[in-house]
Amino acid sequence: MQLRYIDGPEVRITAYDRIFVNVEFFGGEVLTELEPRRLFPISGLTKYITLLDNEGNERAIIRNLNNLMPESRDAILDCLKEYYMIPRIKRLIKRTEKFKIWMWTVETDRGIYTFEIRNSFTAIKVLHDGRILILDANDNRYEIPDLNKLDKRSIRLILPDV
Amino acid sequence: MSIPRSMLTNKPVTESVRAATDELFGEDDPPLFAVVSDLNLNGCYDNSALFVTSQKLIAFDEENGIINLFFSQIKTAEVKRMYGNAVFKITTNDGKRTDILRFTYSVAEICDAVANFINHINSGEDIELELDMVRATYKNMRSFCPKCGRKLSNPDANCINCSGKSKVVSKLLIYIKPQLKRIIFSLILSMGSTAMALVPPYVTKIMVDEILPQSNKRLLAITVAALLGVYIVQYILGGCRAYLLRLAGDSMVTDLKKDIYAKAQHLPMSFYDKTSTGSVINRVNSDTAIIQTFMLRVTQEAVVQLFMLVGIVVIMFTMNWKLTLLSLAPVPIVICISKFFGKKIAPMYRRLWRRGTAISGLLADTIPAVRVIKSFTSEKRAVEKFSRYANDFLSESKKASKTATVFPHIITFMITSGSVIIWLVGGTWVIERPEALTLGLLVSFISYTSMFYTPVNFFANLNDSYQNALASAEKILDIINAEPETDFGKGKNKTGLKGKIEFRNVNFSFDRTKRVLTNVSFVINPGDIVGIVGTTGSGKTTLINLLMRFYENYEGEILVDGKNIKDIDLNFYRSQMGFVQQEPMMFRDTIINNIAYSNPNAHVEQVLHAAEIANAHGFISRLPDAYDTMLGERGVGLSGGEKQRISIARAVLKNPGLLIIDEATSAVDSETEKLIQEAIERLIRGRTTIMIAHRLSTLRKANRILVVDKGEIIENGSHEELMALQGKYYKLIQIQSMSEQVQAEIEAENFEMVR
Repeated sequence: MQLRYIDGPEVRITAYDRIFVNVEFFGGEVLTELEPRRLFPISGLTKYITLLDNEGNERAIIRNLNNLMPESRDAILDCLKEYYMIPRIKRLIKRTEKFKIWMWTVETDRGIYTFEIRNSFTAIKVLHDGRILILDANDNRYEIPDLNKLDKRSIRLILPDV
Repeated sequence: MSIPRSMLTNKPVTESVRAATDELFGEDDPPLFAVVSDLNLNGCYDNSALFVTSQKLIAFDEENGIINLFFSQIKTAEVKRMYGNAVFKITTNDGKRTDILRFTYSVAEICDAVANFINHINSGEDIELELDMVRATYKNMRSFCPKCGRKLSNPDANCINCSGKSKVVSKLLIYIKPQLKRIIFSLILSMGSTAMALVPPYVTKIMVDEILPQSNKRLLAITVAALLGVYIVQYILGGCRAYLLRLAGDSMVTDLKKDIYAKAQHLPMSFYDKTSTGSVINRVNSDTAIIQTFMLRVTQEAVVQLFMLVGIVVIMFTMNWKLTLLSLAPVPIVICISKFFGKKIAPMYRRLWRRGTAISGLLADTIPAVRVIKSFTSEKRAVEKFSRYANDFLSESKKASKTATVFPHIITFMITSGSVIIWLVGGTWVIERPEALTLGLLVSFISYTSMFYTPVNFFANLNDSYQNALASAEKILDIINAEPETDFGKGKNKTGLKGKIEFRNVNFSFDRTKRVLTNVSFVINPGDIVGIVGTTGSGKTTLINLLMRFYENYEGEILVDGKNIKDIDLNFYRSQMGFVQQEPMMFRDTIINNIAYSNPNAHVEQVLHAAEIANAHGFISRLPDAYDTMLGERGVGLSGGEKQRISIARAVLKNPGLLIIDEATSAVDSETEKLIQEAIERLIRGRTTIMIAHRLSTLRKANRILVVDKGEIIENGSHEELMALQGKYYKLIQIQSMSEQVQAEIEAENFEMVR
């Protein structure tokens, strides 16, 4: 079975819903209500975007978003932005521990929030590009885009866990 | 009407939400329950809520206002889980889809229940019954310890974290208790040896001030002999003490290791889903050793050094109080530096622990997989990866050791400076006022001063050891404090299982981001042979995991013989089940012990009989060491088919009332396949059997078949019924038939070629 790749110019992609798109091939074929998802949500943000139908079956893969026409690219990017929306931590306001449960109060690009971390070893992942991904006790995700760009106090509070 | 304060809700409705929505509810249709969320529809942290009455729902967020919809306008309600949060979506009768509430995963389970509630009410289900389901979800949601917030396995469960023993020290003290006699005796020896250690400097004073100036050879000989005696006693006591300490320490750490291992056996599967085996191994081996060193330092060295400190200070004060105060001057500075050091080094040790655990994890991962590494000639890659991890550890260790080594040197420098001051001040006094301070007294005082700083130095460095031990203790207590598998039915319902199994509206997810089973309901009667089929990832194995009670945080009920499985004694329950795994796990032991693992007390002839039934006896008896053949790790030395038959023999020997078979997907040759099929046929005779089946031949033995797709049971019936239905099962069988035909042709070709 062959994977169906989209290289760019052969499709027009339009928004269907906040996280769905319609794909129209220039040959005439139309696929509706497809959900774009990253095949590499951590390591490749604009490459290899899979398009899933209602049943969760893959209908095509976009090799590189940058090769799409601007309108098509924007339609996909909007969906991805909506689907992969996670708070980006700008500042660590407070980090306390009780009974081995860590409470973090953070300032994010989406407001101030407090969450729990049960096991910092598995919940905090440091990536090679300097990003830090955090999973709280309720399975919500957060991202620190660049540890070194945080203020000194936040870095000092986070360092023991990374 | 205003929103009732007693309404079912996950957390209190904020005043702003209350004020905005109060007037939307009529007296005749009050809100039944509410979901209070923490995101608005734009994904920002904000107040929002979803209220549900018997006829409509009202969603509100401060950014986007109110959405008011009657159930009659709704076609479907669903929860769409996304990467970082989820959305409650409504499709109205005109086909329009609307997002009405965005929420973090903390309320995902409740939103699932709300979506089910709306869909079921719309399809004509009884509202009271549906409301009960919602109530159960809220109750489960509230199963948190009010003190520490940890999730409880059951609303009535005691919080293991807050059971009064959560302090690190008190947790570890229980390991010291059994060694108390040795420790106390060792302490007495320590007091003796410390007292002896304090004698020589005083003898120095007598020698310098009295014996040597008088040239009294006889007194000199007696004093030297006494000094020798003091040294002999001191070192004998020290030797005995060291031996006792070693014994106490080894026993303590052995007890600790045993407890961690025992606890690890009783932890739920969900713990292992999130914790690497490497980190568990690290805790059993390295961390316990660090704790051992620390506990011995605290129980012994600390006490000895304290005696020493007090003894020296008393002697010094009696000798010369002015010089003593001068000697004590650097102590406050040493304490301050020690505190500063503790704060600085603690995070470093935590980071070091993470790096160490990463290495253990890598080893636990790669060493057992050395065959895979070799087969892909990836040795170089594996070495490079290990080097990277080791270098990370080294780099972190360098940082920590810089701090850890600089600090004691600062302390030592200060101590030395203290001695220099004593020489300066004391020396001046000896020269100017020899009647106030003799030379012997000064020399003796200097000896005591250097001895005095040994305990000071010790206590300053104890912080380093304490911080290191604390990092390890935290990790050990993670296991010791972890919630074990719950067994609320302990000692209850220990009567033989007849084998009737019932799943009632079971919903399950490993984490909140993805539903694995949705509304699963079915009944299996005693003696039924049930095949479970479905594509990979459809939820077949999860069904079995729930039935085996590997996971208990599901919604709905699973009943066996009419009893909730959570109310049946866990050990008894599992002892009634036989489990033949897809990839049989063998232990590094003899074949006979591997078969008898299910029943260690079985007579040897029972083992032979089980092997014979499982079609394993033939190949075992042809091995040079037959049943005494030692298997390598994970059964190295046996083929896949042979391991499967040993696994079946294990199940035969256990003689369970309820049998679960996860059929191997790996292809074996037709002859082996036939032997395995025969063995399975003999095994399942007369027992309730659930088989995750991959082969057509296995499915034909089943009198009932459940088809699982995306976590739901989509078809349920006999082979004939489902074939007539021409649904998913029909398609799967067609694909299976084709692939078996191809397989048969390939085998026939190979056979021709060999012949």
